[in-house]
Amino acid sequence: MKILKHTVSLLIVLALFISCNDDNGNDPNPPSATAPETQNVLVGESLDLTFSISVDAGYESASVSAANGEASISSEPESGATSGDIVVSYTGNTTGAGSVELTVTDVDGLTAKATAVINVGEEQKEFTITENITEDTTWEDGKTYILGGRIIVEPDVTLTIEGGAVVKGEAGSGSNATTLLVARDATLNANGTAQAPIIFTSVADEITPEDVDNGNFGSPNLDETQNGLWGGVIVLGNAPISYSDDGNDQTEAQIEGIPTSETLALYGGNDPSDSSGSLTYVTIRHGGTNIGQGNEINGLSLGGVGNGTTIENIEIVANQDDGVEWFGGTVNVSNVLVWNNGDDALDTDQDWQGTVDNVVTMSPDGSSMELDGPEGSSATVSGNAHTIMNVSAYVETNGSELIDVDDNTNVNISNVVFFGLATDDSGNADNMFSSDYSEYADNTKGYTITSIDAVLPSGTALADYFPQSLVDDGEVEEVADAQSGTGADTSVFGWTWASQAGALSNVGL
Amino acid sequence: MKLAKYISLILIFGFAHMVYGQSQVGTIRGKVIDASSGEPLIGVNVLVVGTSDGASTDVDGTFSLKVPEGTYSLRLSYVSYQNKKIEGIEVKAGDITVLDNIALSTATAKMEEVVVTAGAVRNSEAAMLTMKRTSPQMLDGISSEKFDKIGVSDAAQALKKVTGVSVEGGKYVYVRGLGDRYTNTMLNSVEIPSLDPNRNSLQVDIFPSNLIENMVINKTASAELPADFTGGIVNIETIDFPERPIFDISTSFTYNPQMHFNSNYLTYEGSDTDFLGFDNGARELPNEAKGESIPSPLSGTSDNSVYEFVNSFNPTLGPKQKTNNMDYSLGLTLGDQYKVGDDKALGYIVSGKYSNKTKYYNNYVYGEWQNALNAENFDLVRSTTQNGTVAENNVFLGGLAGIAYKAGQSKFKLTGMHLQNGESRSANFLVDNSESAPGQSGYIGESYNLEYSERSITNFLLNGTHYFDNANWEIDWRLSPTFSTMNDPDLRKTTYTIKSNGDYTFNAGAGGFPSRTWRYMDEVNLVGRVNISGDYELFDNPATVKFGGSHVYKQRDYDILSYTASFFGNQFDWQGNPSEILIDDHIYGNGGTIYYQSGNPDPNPNAYNSNSSNTAVYVSNQFSLIPNVRTNIGLRVENYVLRHTGRDISYAQGATEAGINFDDEKVLDAFDFFPSANVIYNITDRMNLRFSYSKTIARPSFKEMSFAQILDPISNRIFNGGLYPIGSWDGNLHETRINNFDLRFESFLSGNQLISVSGFYKTFDDPIELVRLRASATSSEFQPRNVGNGEVYGAEFEFRKSFNFLSESLTNFGFSTNVTLVKSLIDMTDEEYNARKNREKEGQDIDDQRQMAGQAPYIINAGLTYDNADLNMDAGLFYNLKGETLVLVGGGTYPDVYSEPFHNLKFNLNKAFGPRNQYSLSVNVSNILNDRREEFYDGYNTVDKIYEAYSPARTYSVGFKYSF
Repeated sequence: MKILKHTVSLLIVLALFISCNDDNGNDPNPPSATAPETQNVLVGESLDLTFSISVDAGYESASVSAANGEASISSEPESGATSGDIVVSYTGNTTGAGSVELTVTDVDGLTAKATAVINVGEEQKEFTITENITEDTTWEDGKTYILGGRIIVEPDVTLTIEGGAVVKGEAGSGSNATTLLVARDATLNANGTAQAPIIFTSVADEITPEDVDNGNFGSPNLDETQNGLWGGVIVLGNAPISYSDDGNDQTEAQIEGIPTSETLALYGGNDPSDSSGSLTYVTIRHGGTNIGQGNEINGLSLGGVGNGTTIENIEIVANQDDGVEWFGGTVNVSNVLVWNNGDDALDTDQDWQGTVDNVVTMSPDGSSMELDGPEGSSATVSGNAHTIMNVSAYVETNGSELIDVDDNTNVNISNVVFFGLATDDSGNADNMFSSDYSEYADNTKGYTITSIDAVLPSGTALADYFPQSLVDDGEVEEVADAQSGTGADTSVFGWTWASQAGALSNVGL
Repeated sequence: MKLAKYISLILIFGFAHMVYGQSQVGTIRGKVIDASSGEPLIGVNVLVVGTSDGASTDVDGTFSLKVPEGTYSLRLSYVSYQNKKIEGIEVKAGDITVLDNIALSTATAKMEEVVVTAGAVRNSEAAMLTMKRTSPQMLDGISSEKFDKIGVSDAAQALKKVTGVSVEGGKYVYVRGLGDRYTNTMLNSVEIPSLDPNRNSLQVDIFPSNLIENMVINKTASAELPADFTGGIVNIETIDFPERPIFDISTSFTYNPQMHFNSNYLTYEGSDTDFLGFDNGARELPNEAKGESIPSPLSGTSDNSVYEFVNSFNPTLGPKQKTNNMDYSLGLTLGDQYKVGDDKALGYIVSGKYSNKTKYYNNYVYGEWQNALNAENFDLVRSTTQNGTVAENNVFLGGLAGIAYKAGQSKFKLTGMHLQNGESRSANFLVDNSESAPGQSGYIGESYNLEYSERSITNFLLNGTHYFDNANWEIDWRLSPTFSTMNDPDLRKTTYTIKSNGDYTFNAGAGGFPSRTWRYMDEVNLVGRVNISGDYELFDNPATVKFGGSHVYKQRDYDILSYTASFFGNQFDWQGNPSEILIDDHIYGNGGTIYYQSGNPDPNPNAYNSNSSNTAVYVSNQFSLIPNVRTNIGLRVENYVLRHTGRDISYAQGATEAGINFDDEKVLDAFDFFPSANVIYNITDRMNLRFSYSKTIARPSFKEMSFAQILDPISNRIFNGGLYPIGSWDGNLHETRINNFDLRFESFLSGNQLISVSGFYKTFDDPIELVRLRASATSSEFQPRNVGNGEVYGAEFEFRKSFNFLSESLTNFGFSTNVTLVKSLIDMTDEEYNARKNREKEGQDIDDQRQMAGQAPYIINAGLTYDNADLNMDAGLFYNLKGETLVLVGGGTYPDVYSEPFHNLKFNLNKAFGPRNQYSLSVNVSNILNDRREEFYDGYNTVDKIYEAYSPARTYSVGFKYSF
């Protein structure tokens, strides 16, 4: 019995010894690798996948292969390490179930594989913007940016918007209105092209960057008269304005439509050549939401914008208030089309001193032009005029006056053709040129309105619509149709929604 | 009908209790006071001469004796006081004979007993007057004894008779012409919030005079009073133990020929319970509108759900014409006291009041005017004028009940009060905006406004007073919660813009779109207070030490939600009648285009939650070191913390980085010492010289200390919370600290006659004013801000004299006047000074100081009175005038706004009839001169222009009271 006992003990000890020997690795284990859990990525986006590995024999190398994307190893353990992490960088390129297969090889040439699963989703094409723009930012072609509130490009920051980008404002009225506001000393470079304009519209508009790519610039679902669905675009600068109030040296004011509590909405200064950037081939639609009695947001509001700024090829459609309004400043603007807006098409205030050249206005509810002069103290008034030239104005309804000027309006206007003039039920003239024209004409500074053409409804005469003095001076002439008069060169508006919708040709332009 | 049921129940109860009160014996009740201080004397021995019947005075200095019908004498004795015998006291079975103000003088040596008649006691000076004459604090007041004589029906009417007090609109108390910010109101010594959140002080016309024990107005601070008043603090103390059973019903009718029975009066369909002062839910915000996203063509919901959502709003947007009634009111008051055992008594009071008033103003004008641009153009430039009609219906329903119990050395009081007020307003204005003013585009509009404001206050007070050590020590504690709400449900504003060809439209840049707003406010106030006072001797003279503490916690929730009707496509052919707008065919989802847009980001920047807690401790000592000079020196310490939860618009719209968000953030945290010293020098017994110094504070309100932006739908003016940093203003709104100095000479002549002259001087450290924001040309915006330091100095002259010096027959005729002249100066901020300088006119010299906003430069009160106690009649002709007061601070483009002096001439007559004077009649004529209320823009060297103007017109009212 004793012998048996000893033998068994010996065998047990031996067995233990053998098993220990095994562990000590004369014959090492193959490597192993563990994949991370399933992750998500969008097309075009990258993410890091961390595999943990165990390599008894010592780490030698690893390789990856990927599905629905590209993968590369961005970090690995040192050669000979027995454990560690391998980080694989994966960039999705195709939607669907993607994967990364990692193969680990040890010094003995043994391998282990592990597969990480990645769901590759659609590329993010829509971004909701809720914070002010506080660092240089680009809004890209092919993408949609939703304005979640009053978004301000803050001073010393540049927002670049690429042609083909679509910007949509969320709904809201009053203090809840959404706007893109470019503060003084900030820069907006929104440079579209005739093939890829930049569209500002409402979230209710189903237009996509793909539509723009395909050359369809009109809204697929919204009517060209639907207005007031969001705020508008406001650009502010440091050029002089004539609104001077708080202190002798300050020449600044709060832009209309934004409560005074927002101090980045001040505009005006002493730099006539100030630049707020550049806006070309920009179309702004369905804006002008209600703020409150006597308070408004225009399609494009330009407050104290300097002539270092480029603004050309602008379309405003269905803004509930004015199309383009200048509050002082010196900026020059060319090629503007304003269609179906709720109030005046062009509106000038506070001693704007620039030129707007080549304009089409169609069917404003208010005046085609509502023009005011300086309103600041005499110290800030320039004594210069602003200039409006080459305008084709389709009137359609009696909203207000054709050109609303008053005694201190500092404007020179030339080459305007009015057509589609309204008549009342008895066929009489139903538009008025300007009730204060004679006060304006009495100005001693030499401001004039010249070269007006008009297509008259049958049975009416020039003097029914225009001041007798202009008629007598031969400054107003009757023309047969809009094309044969002076007015805008409409060939530059081929890119607009109005042109694509046939609205220009419908009125004979 | 339910109301009628309740009224009849109360009446039955009232009669029952009258019958119960009848018996074969009568009662003598009286109150014994210290002749030198007016304080009640406790433990005075009162004996019915010739019997063994007697009593001793209780903690209120009162006693009550039941005796068979007959004529009696009483003997009063008290240690170290001179004995007094009162003769000829007639007692009738079942009736109560009241002997108030039995004054006992301290006995300096062995003195003979004083013998007086009951009639002499009745005509003696009231305790209140004694206190006023002898207290080191400058206080004034009026007590219940006086009410019977002058026949007033509510607290507001009574306060008008008090010097230096003016009552505005028949409701709000102002002291020394200082604005509402500097006056405070308390009920039973605890602060009560105003029914109007824009005001600091409570409207006082809601308290019927027969429930008021007394009202005291302190014009100088002392340590036991809250530190947040500067002009004056009014305390209304309700009766706890009525001397006689009270069962009064009263009614009054007021007729204004220009306003009442007017077929042009405007109203609109409200709720069935509007006549009770509250809305029963008819104006409630539709449930779905409360959500983050409301159904709209842009929200992705079905067309039908947009249609149903729009339909869930009340389609009424305009008023209708209906003939109105004259004003009327009904009141009921009950009260009595019972003996419970030997030295215990139980008292109760119950009161209810209902009033229904309408006002109709045609030719109501609002104006916005600006300074012309050029220095040589003096005329103000018109920006917007609004001219139209405002009609109001104001319903008030209030009740107060109190029960009091005294036993031995303790007294307890519990009162409950509920006030309910509903005001419905309809207005129609023609809006004329002129394009010639800077920033204006010019339009003509026609606006319709429908408003409803519903306010309520519920207050409870539990009070205990305990006396120790032979009544030398007194502990008084009070606990008082108040719950108030103010809701403005469904304020509707619809403004048509009228095109040049006369067509109606809605234009976002002109008259705007139809909009509606809901405002909600809830406030809870909790007050706890303990006062301890002890009488002792200091340098062989009586002295009083007082100390105690209080804690006041307030919490307010505020929320504004607004919605704008918009068109998803074309508008319709409008005829200019608002009932045409929200018809079925016009609504989106049913073939129309109208939908509602939300003006409310989530979280809402126009909502806030604030709370404040004020912990105070104080100690004061009243003593006399020099003969005839008494001094009260005290120190109060208050630790005030205001916390605010709210956010600005950027944050609310999602800008969590650029926006400002306060989450229960401390926006005020101040620990202040408020020293006070009041000295009185008795030149003679009836002639005093007084001096006082105190430091006080004025704190910004919850609303001022917020990010709220509140649009007044009628005037279209916007209030901005003080927390917004705008321009040179850093958003750091804080308290105003005030130093007050007063000097006064007064001479009390016989009866109620008086001459006094006072001078006062106050310095204001960073006073808060409502400032016009100058950067915005298109909207009228205002913000409360701390402006430069200010000072106020003034003189007061008071004179009250009977014409008996002319002839004995004129004894009943009197003349009273008090005149306050005030000069106030504020240092302008650089911003304001520069703005003014920038628009300086030729020949104008802009100073860097100006009048303080809200401070009247002079106040004149004058009255001719006739007072005949034998006929139970008094009458008076009263005149009140407040000088041109700076209401809104302008500067630059905007001229200052001043209030035009209003010549207020009133007549009133009160007469009691009947064997027990149980019938009383009062006749009032107010605004006899038919003056117009005006606030105007002050032009330099040119015609002033109206900021706001309306005619209250002349009113006639008749009141009738019957006491059972």
